[in-house]
Amino acid sequence: MTVMSRADQRLTPDVVQSVTFPTSRLGRRGFDEDHVRVFCKQVEAELVRLLNERTSLQEEVRRLRARVLGRVAGDSGPGYRREDAHIQAVGILSKAQMTADQYVADAQEYSRQLAEDARRRRDEILSEARAHAEMVMEEAHSRGSQAAHVALVEAAGSPSSSQRGELEAELAYLRTFCDVYRTHLRAYLDALLRNVDEWEKAEQSAVSEVPGQLPAVLRRVAAPVARPEI
Amino acid sequence: MDPGCLRDSFARVAMHGDQVALFFYSDLFLRHPETRELFPVSMAAQRDRLLNALGQIVADADKLDRLAPFLQGLGRDHRKFGALADHYGPVGESLLATLAHFSGDAWTPELAAEWNAAYQLVAQVMTDAAATDARRNPASWDATVLSHELRTFDVAVVRVATVQPLYYLPGQSVALEHPLRPRLWRYYSMANAPREDSTIDFHVRMIDGGPVSMALTRATDVGSWLRLGAPVGTLMLDTHSGRNVLLVAGSTGLAPIKALAEQLDGLPNPPTTHLFFGAQRAEGLYDLPALEKLAATAPWLHITACVFDDPRFAGERGYLPDIVARHGPWNGYDAYLAGSTTMTDATANRLVSLGVPDNQIHIEDFGWSEP
Repeated sequence: MTVMSRADQRLTPDVVQSVTFPTSRLGRRGFDEDHVRVFCKQVEAELVRLLNERTSLQEEVRRLRARVLGRVAGDSGPGYRREDAHIQAVGILSKAQMTADQYVADAQEYSRQLAEDARRRRDEILSEARAHAEMVMEEAHSRGSQAAHVALVEAAGSPSSSQRGELEAELAYLRTFCDVYRTHLRAYLDALLRNVDEWEKAEQSAVSEVPGQLPAVLRRVAAPVARPEI
Repeated sequence: MDPGCLRDSFARVAMHGDQVALFFYSDLFLRHPETRELFPVSMAAQRDRLLNALGQIVADADKLDRLAPFLQGLGRDHRKFGALADHYGPVGESLLATLAHFSGDAWTPELAAEWNAAYQLVAQVMTDAAATDARRNPASWDATVLSHELRTFDVAVVRVATVQPLYYLPGQSVALEHPLRPRLWRYYSMANAPREDSTIDFHVRMIDGGPVSMALTRATDVGSWLRLGAPVGTLMLDTHSGRNVLLVAGSTGLAPIKALAEQLDGLPNPPTTHLFFGAQRAEGLYDLPALEKLAATAPWLHITACVFDDPRFAGERGYLPDIVARHGPWNGYDAYLAGSTTMTDATANRLVSLGVPDNQIHIEDFGWSEP
């Protein structure tokens, strides 16, 4: 059985008995933390459910016992009791509250995962871009110094004034070439950063939805995840 | 009042865990629907808080010297949530109904009278403290956002102005409520010493999945309104020790540390002060220019910027506690640490092992953790 199953699936003793956790990624020891955490959540939810059931059963027992005792004492009808109705209403409201709590927790967990993912991908893109930029700069640098070296060797061989003029022109050209390369690189990096910004803006508009409502992206996704048991 | 009897009774009820608080709030909301408005949508954290507070009250029922300040704080604290003296009656009613429900056959008229007497006392102390506080302070402070700068993709510096003056000491923090996340309060440190124009800066770091921090970093504009609670916190400068000062800030732990640095700057003879500001990457040193500007006119202030994981950073690289330890000894210093729990714990441990006495180490633990 995979542990990453839905939170509303009932947990049975045989599931607990047969559960397996995948071992974690390289460089870490033990079970994968996320899997264990999800499983603990499931166990916790199941316990809460069992406790709920137990409390309402106890309530039922008490009510039935009272009714039986009432009959014995000569009270003919079961009768409608206001107290019972209130306790039942408390039970219903409690269930509704638990459902709401679960929805909020699921939405928060989902947004946590999204944000974590976005953060990781942002780091990846930036470090790739940095590596790429360094490579390009190095290449440009080595080409530039090669050209300068060739020019110097040639200049040393026959230092006529016309040749010197040519070499100076070539050096100027190389400098311009370097600048152009740098500008290109900057534009490339800027574009990447803009990309990152756009993600952020999308996320921002998702967060700034009307209060009391889940962000659109969460509304769409949270509902199926958190469907309560019927 | 019989504390032992209350403790036994509460232990029996508390066995039911979360169910107890769940029943209590449902009962309260059914009897007095208007009280639902005072709470957030999700009640999970709220239920834990209720049980913890009840547990503490019952545990300390015969230690009035400890219980009284706790209840007074609780009473003052509840003002910002909109709790009124009129609410205490309904709460007591529902509390007794809850205890009766979970006590089963053990619930007797005598026990009910015990609990009722205890609750009346608790409510009295709380409402008295709230009333005393109300003579001096508003229940909460409205503040409007003057500027909002996203310094890195996950750290924002927010400047607000309060309508009524908010008096606080540098190093303190306030609970803060965002209009998009009603009834959710999170603590943030003031990042400046009190100013004449009563503006306040907050440094907000976006916590993945954190509803309030996400709204503050991503969905706050100039003109937004925030609500602030009363200032709290014990990270306060000891201006009489005569010792030098070591300030250590990890990420937005800089907020209270910067407020302390500004306070030192206002002293006639500031002590020699070393400020270490650490971040994961160079871009995380989101307020370094402001610190350097302060240091430029403050010869007593030395600033060291540290980055944990960025081979391109030219300055100090490594784990903040290690870097601080390397720059020691710090025996003659008062140390003030703020940031993630892991960082502040590790730094405090290093300082203690270097011979800095415990009572010279002051910590503001931000609760969040970071690798």
